[in-house]
Amino acid sequence: MLQDAQTAVGGISGADLIQAAKFLGAGLCMGIGAIGPAIGEGYAVGHALDGIARQPELQGSLFRTMLIGCAVTETTGIYSLLIAIVLIFVA
Amino acid sequence: MFEQLAKTLDHLGEKQVAVVDIWGLQIRFDWTMLIMSWIAMGILFLLAFFLRRALCQPIEEKPNRAQAALDALIAAVEGQLTSNFSSPGLGARMFPFIGTLFLYVLVCNWLSVLPGLESPTANPNVTIGLALLVFILAHAYAIRIKGVRRYLRGFLDPYPFMLPLNLIGEIAKPISHSFRLFGNVFAGTVLVTVVTAVLVPIAVPAALNAVFGLFSGFIQAFVFSVLAVTYINMAVEG
Repeated sequence: MLQDAQTAVGGISGADLIQAAKFLGAGLCMGIGAIGPAIGEGYAVGHALDGIARQPELQGSLFRTMLIGCAVTETTGIYSLLIAIVLIFVA
Repeated sequence: MFEQLAKTLDHLGEKQVAVVDIWGLQIRFDWTMLIMSWIAMGILFLLAFFLRRALCQPIEEKPNRAQAALDALIAAVEGQLTSNFSSPGLGARMFPFIGTLFLYVLVCNWLSVLPGLESPTANPNVTIGLALLVFILAHAYAIRIKGVRRYLRGFLDPYPFMLPLNLIGEIAKPISHSFRLFGNVFAGTVLVTVVTAVLVPIAVPAALNAVFGLFSGFIQAFVFSVLAVTYINMAVEG
């Protein structure tokens, strides 16, 4: 059994494993890191829409504040993008 | 299909790099991004040059179309961007910088819609440069307005042991500022390229370009300049 496994992975070197781990890590990093900002932006936009529906005359200022809030919420997603880029291209 | 995709993506990451050697210091230029930045600047310069001629008329005459359009643009930048400064004087002083930043990033984002051109903002070096510009300006203004002592004391707020956290927070600002623009533009570019090269080469890329090039490009340019306003305001006020 162990002999079979060893012959099967004989063509895979340590460098290949590291490469595979890099790509896996980058994919997981982006996928999991995108959950938080998505939920946060959903809340922000939903509540901004509530506010606009209640007071349509404040639409401009609400929309601007919402965009700033979305941009700040996005920051954690940007950090995971940074880590993914570092994993793929630099590490 | 996947070989074609891999070739396309390889081409996307390909760079024509020129190395300039100045007294042992090697400076690398990416020709694509350099030329695309020049094209963006050239578009802005030509617009300014031709619109300037339309404005050369006596003030008592009624405004022509170019003047009305420029008035609307300036009112939009003033109302949406620089009105976020807490003091109107600072807003008036920062108006040229913020307006230039917004127009430059907007033209850069929209460049990739034209065939054969690329967005300079899809390169992290360009966006890091822009973010560093905002960072240095914010801190220079903070020192100039608050004085060195009050500026340095601001890092000890609210308690002295928060100093490392405050420093990390300040350094994280330009990083997230630049990578937000880069990530959004680059992701749009990759998506449009992949769909055009592999999936549907007709009609769909045009719609994707409209969404990721025009709409998202405008939103990102707006967010970039709003965040620049916020950072400068925070540094000066905080």
